[in-house]
Amino acid sequence: MTTLLLLLLPSMLFMAGVFALPLARYLWLSFHADSVMTGLVAIPNDGANWNRFLNDLRYWQDLGQTLRFAVASVTLELLLGLAIALLLNQPQRGRALIRTTSLIPWALPTTVMALGWRWIFNTPYGPVNRLFESVFGHSLNALGEPSLAWLTTVYADVWKTTPFVALILLAGLQTIPSDLYEAARLEGAGALTCLKKITLPLLLPYLGLALMFRMAQAFGVFDLIQVMTGGGPASSTESIALYAYWNALRFLDFGYSATIMIGSFIILTMMVAIAWVVIATARRRSVVGAPS
Amino acid sequence: MTLHLQNVGRCIGNQWIVRHLAFQIGNDECLALVGPSGCGKSTTLRLIAGLDPVSEGSIAIGGHDVTKLTPAERSIGMVFQSYALLPHLSVFENLELGLKIRNVQCKDRSIRIQRVLDLLQLSDRASHRPAQLSGGQRQRVALARALIRDPEVYLLDEPMSNLDAQLREGIRPELRRLVLEQQKPTIYVTHDQHEAMAMANKIAIINHGQILQLDTPINLYKNPNSLFVAQFLGRPQINCLKPSDNQIQAIRPEDLKFDDSGLPCRLLSREWLGNTQLLYLASSEGDLRMIMDPSFECPERLFVRWDPQKAFYFDRETGKRIP
Ligand SMILES: Nc1ncnc2c1ncn2[C@@H]1O[C@H](COP(=O)(O)OP(=O)(O)O)[C@@H](O)[C@H]1O
Ligand SMILES: [Mg+2]
Repeated sequence: MTTLLLLLLPSMLFMAGVFALPLARYLWLSFHADSVMTGLVAIPNDGANWNRFLNDLRYWQDLGQTLRFAVASVTLELLLGLAIALLLNQPQRGRALIRTTSLIPWALPTTVMALGWRWIFNTPYGPVNRLFESVFGHSLNALGEPSLAWLTTVYADVWKTTPFVALILLAGLQTIPSDLYEAARLEGAGALTCLKKITLPLLLPYLGLALMFRMAQAFGVFDLIQVMTGGGPASSTESIALYAYWNALRFLDFGYSATIMIGSFIILTMMVAIAWVVIATARRRSVVGAPS
Repeated sequence: MTLHLQNVGRCIGNQWIVRHLAFQIGNDECLALVGPSGCGKSTTLRLIAGLDPVSEGSIAIGGHDVTKLTPAERSIGMVFQSYALLPHLSVFENLELGLKIRNVQCKDRSIRIQRVLDLLQLSDRASHRPAQLSGGQRQRVALARALIRDPEVYLLDEPMSNLDAQLREGIRPELRRLVLEQQKPTIYVTHDQHEAMAMANKIAIINHGQILQLDTPINLYKNPNSLFVAQFLGRPQINCLKPSDNQIQAIRPEDLKFDDSGLPCRLLSREWLGNTQLLYLASSEGDLRMIMDPSFECPERLFVRWDPQKAFYFDRETGKRIP
């Protein structure tokens, strides 16, 4: 028993160091005022941060925007990624080459590719606007129009991360034995039936994996938006990570920034818990509920 | 209903995977395809099922040419080596899927599934998933899926290779009875000669994508047309003597007898097999295997002989039988 604990100790210390400690420190900080006003000294403030947090319309707007961004980009990435993975899974010449080159967007540093897209979507000088003008006769303010700017960031995120999703799903597709499809072909199953009855159910764990990875990343999106729009126009693309960053490093209000982080952490945990329960219930029902 | 193959072959690139396949199987016949791994047994089944395109020749079921038909149009019941069961569906749903695809009425579906589950003693496993079943049960579900569509031809690709030896022996009589009861042409693929002899009334020995010989088990054993066939059937393996005049003489272990005027031998080792014992002997003609009574105490040095009428002679170059 002691040996066991001793062996576990290093990894437990490590986990505590990288997860528990910062979390505890932020939780503690969220109950303190710690800003330029207090001379950057933490002074207990009776939950004033939390009070402000609950009534901070800008935060709740940012949360909505972050969710909108995450849901839109992850949905598109899963759909496109699935389509690409299905195509790449077909036996064809040059598959390895396509597979490798399609990973380039994902391998690019986000900052670099975001700068690239900012230039491409620049109004009036970017090529997209030029093209749009020559076709439709008026300009397209892809990054300056609130109703368009968030779609443009979604577009850039999809461009960058779809290859990653496609690769995960392709790995999943390759674990499906081909004789499952052959058995279905003997019965006369078409491509759609095979997709519905074989591919998607067996791909579910991989879809779940991609969904989880991407949701977590998209929920904490920072660099892409910071570079492309800086959260604008009129904070219409601002994400919660961006807002927390601004509070800490622009307004030097570390207490409130910590509150935003902890609050977001709680909300995210709750969402994951709900998703978990829903999935577990669905799975249990499908095991027990088979006809007899 | 018969299954008729005429000069069937499959070519990938410029390499023939199988070629010159020709045989006819009747209603009450089970043909075993045997041969070493990679010789083209599965490919042959896939050609008949329509899963792979035929490069030459033609396939007919019940007199109808099916060479150009899709797998679904051919009425084939196939058992895959890996069983090919969907892991996320229950036994019932696995069986139901094929019927659904073929638009069988819901009520009819349940009746047919229930009948086949009863036949294979799987009724209490209907709501289990494949992972919750034993190997033997999974194999029966795979068989059930082939039976339920009531096809014209049954193709079984090494249906027992994933089971342990004891279970295999237990299932064999049951499987044979089921297959024979269907009264449909059946092809049974195996790499185990013992299984082939037990399951089938005809055996085709395949090597390098070609049928070397096709006959009843007993004729194959008594009258092999090539060294490969002679070596493939019969355990312990047939003895091949040192070649002379470009001929190889081969003699079955059970045809060796003790005789003081025979070939001098030295005992290398012996294996006691319960009801017999297997002797390994060294002689000037090469190493010999010999079957003996289990109680026999074999001396260090002995003499053996055999009836030349019972020996087979093969061409050293081609391996073909010399009459
Ligand atoms: N799609 C294919 N492309 C190239 N070679 C193949 C293909 N399918 C099978 N083969 C080759 O054909 C041979 C026969 O395969 P198979 O019929 O599966 O053998 P068996 O079932 O007798 O073990 C093998 O050598 C295999 O490598
Ligand atoms: Mg095979």
